Amino acid sequence: MEMTKGLLSILLTAILTQNFVLSKFLGICPFLGVSKKLNTAAGMSAAVIFVMALATAVTYPINTLLVKFDLEYLQTIVFILVIAALVQLVEIILKKYIPSLYQALGIYLPLITTNCAVLGVVILNIDNGYGFAQSMFNSVGAGLGFMLAMVMFAGVRERLESCDIPKFLKGLPITLVAASLVSVSFLGFTGIVENIFG
Amino acid sequence: MAEKKSLGKEFSKGILAENPVLRLVLGTCPTLATSTSVQSALGMGLAASIVLVCSNIAISALRKIIPEKVRIPAYIVIIASFVTIVQMLVKAFAPELDEQLGVYLPLIVVNCIILGRAEAFASKNPVLASAVDGLGMGVGFTTALFLMSSVREILGAGSFLGMSIPFLSQNPVLIFILPPGGFFVFGILMAVVNRFAEKKGKPRAELRGCEACPMAQTCKLNSCEKTEEKAEVSA
Amino acid sequence: MKKKMNPKDILVPAVMLLIICLVTTVLLALTNSVTKTKIAQNAADKETSSRAEVLPEATQFSEVKIDEATGVTYCEGKNASGESVGYVFTSSAKGYGGDVTVMTGVGSDGKITGVTILSHGETPGLGANSTKPEFRNRFIGKSGELVVNKTSNDGQNVQAITAATITSKAVVAAVNDALSVFSEVSGGAENG
Repeated sequence: MEMTKGLLSILLTAILTQNFVLSKFLGICPFLGVSKKLNTAAGMSAAVIFVMALATAVTYPINTLLVKFDLEYLQTIVFILVIAALVQLVEIILKKYIPSLYQALGIYLPLITTNCAVLGVVILNIDNGYGFAQSMFNSVGAGLGFMLAMVMFAGVRERLESCDIPKFLKGLPITLVAASLVSVSFLGFTGIVENIFG
Repeated sequence: MAEKKSLGKEFSKGILAENPVLRLVLGTCPTLATSTSVQSALGMGLAASIVLVCSNIAISALRKIIPEKVRIPAYIVIIASFVTIVQMLVKAFAPELDEQLGVYLPLIVVNCIILGRAEAFASKNPVLASAVDGLGMGVGFTTALFLMSSVREILGAGSFLGMSIPFLSQNPVLIFILPPGGFFVFGILMAVVNRFAEKKGKPRAELRGCEACPMAQTCKLNSCEKTEEKAEVSA
Repeated sequence: MKKKMNPKDILVPAVMLLIICLVTTVLLALTNSVTKTKIAQNAADKETSSRAEVLPEATQFSEVKIDEATGVTYCEGKNASGESVGYVFTSSAKGYGGDVTVMTGVGSDGKITGVTILSHGETPGLGANSTKPEFRNRFIGKSGELVVNKTSNDGQNVQAITAATITSKAVVAAVNDALSVFSEVSGGAENG
């Protein structure tokens, strides 16, 4: 019971209060770049959740090995290569065996290698000293949080399209200001997790 | 003489005309995340600049040896190793900076500016020019971070480089150092820069290249062409 | 699209990549061997200076032990003549941005001699203010079960940081853990 409570609180924290995009600033590039349309935003986020979970599942045992052989200093280099290889591998496998899923996620996969949110979640799991289950919950939570932010923001941006905006604010500046307001709304979640799980 | 002049140009383009953050819109994550205080912003700028210059030099020196097919993984390995070296040095000699930057220090690996410069410049130009290009881009990145963090720290914490400013320190506008303030200040800064660029008849900064990532050059080779290719094939 | 591949076309890039990996690994191993001791030293220095800060009377510390039930680590502080002057505890609790790790010094009389924050992920300007002496000094001299209060700092109350109640609660929870372990350890020591 205590265990599930802990895991759920990690999950909720990662989605709401410590949202990767809006409070940790990880994965800003796709957040600003792919959020113009709702369906691409959703597709990209689904791919991110998938890769995050997979990357965590793979890097966790690798990290145990690195620690065992006193090679922790190779973490960054090993993780980024593992993620890059993993993304390629997933792409090939999906293409061959689950073409329908590949059609949905395929084009987003290569963009994820350099998405700092994936490497970020893997490193944060280790920095926080999470065990395997905790790491998985944190990663899925981070991915879901990414999706929530992306989908919400896509909605905001679709409305922005039809707004009358001062000339010099058009484009990227107003997008960032809008992101700022969405981020304010997430500040409202302050304390919610602590209050639920007391 | 001509050589010198062009080197100067390589250097200065990174600061103004092609400022990586404000003009090319690269490296947005560390810009937003580490600009809560001037000190951490300068630390991030310096660390990223060192990695940028070193990786540019190494990649330029190896540009004829690295096989075309594996160049992206090779660049990633080279960049990641410089990042790790910088990380270890920071941990050993500036532990406070390590605490401030936290996870963003190893994440320099995926800073689009560095891989972007490797692919767009260092892989095609001689060592000296690449080093100067890296330095210019590094200074440009640091300048942008400095601007962002000055605004955020002065308004949000009422201090500058940790020294408190009378009046402001009693009435800090906290929101500026909270996450929303980061987006807001960046947006306003972009608007101001766009306005100046427009006056000079230059195009405004936009997210460009393949629909998703602003790391246009690198990612184009990696994915967009592939995507397009696939689209063509299926058509 | 793909022509038949020459084995050389695969081998050469693979070998090159391998060489690059090897060279960089050697470089990293070298840097690691140079910086490793320094990094360990930094961590140890920080530990020592924090201990001295929260339990100023002590000049030497016993080995670190762990309380299995709560996960709190502690060590006994002694003065120059070898008498016990209290304990130093390291405990953590969940704050707004992850775990807040707190070091608490408790004198032999059971009163808190000092509190310091070892690591935290709290918001700069709000929860991060918990590292400032204004807040940490509110604990000194207190004992027993502490509670967070928004306005008062009397008795068992610890006045919360403005607009950072969650962080304040986390620090107080960590300190309470330390105090409860103290009552076990010090009681045990008297009996033994």
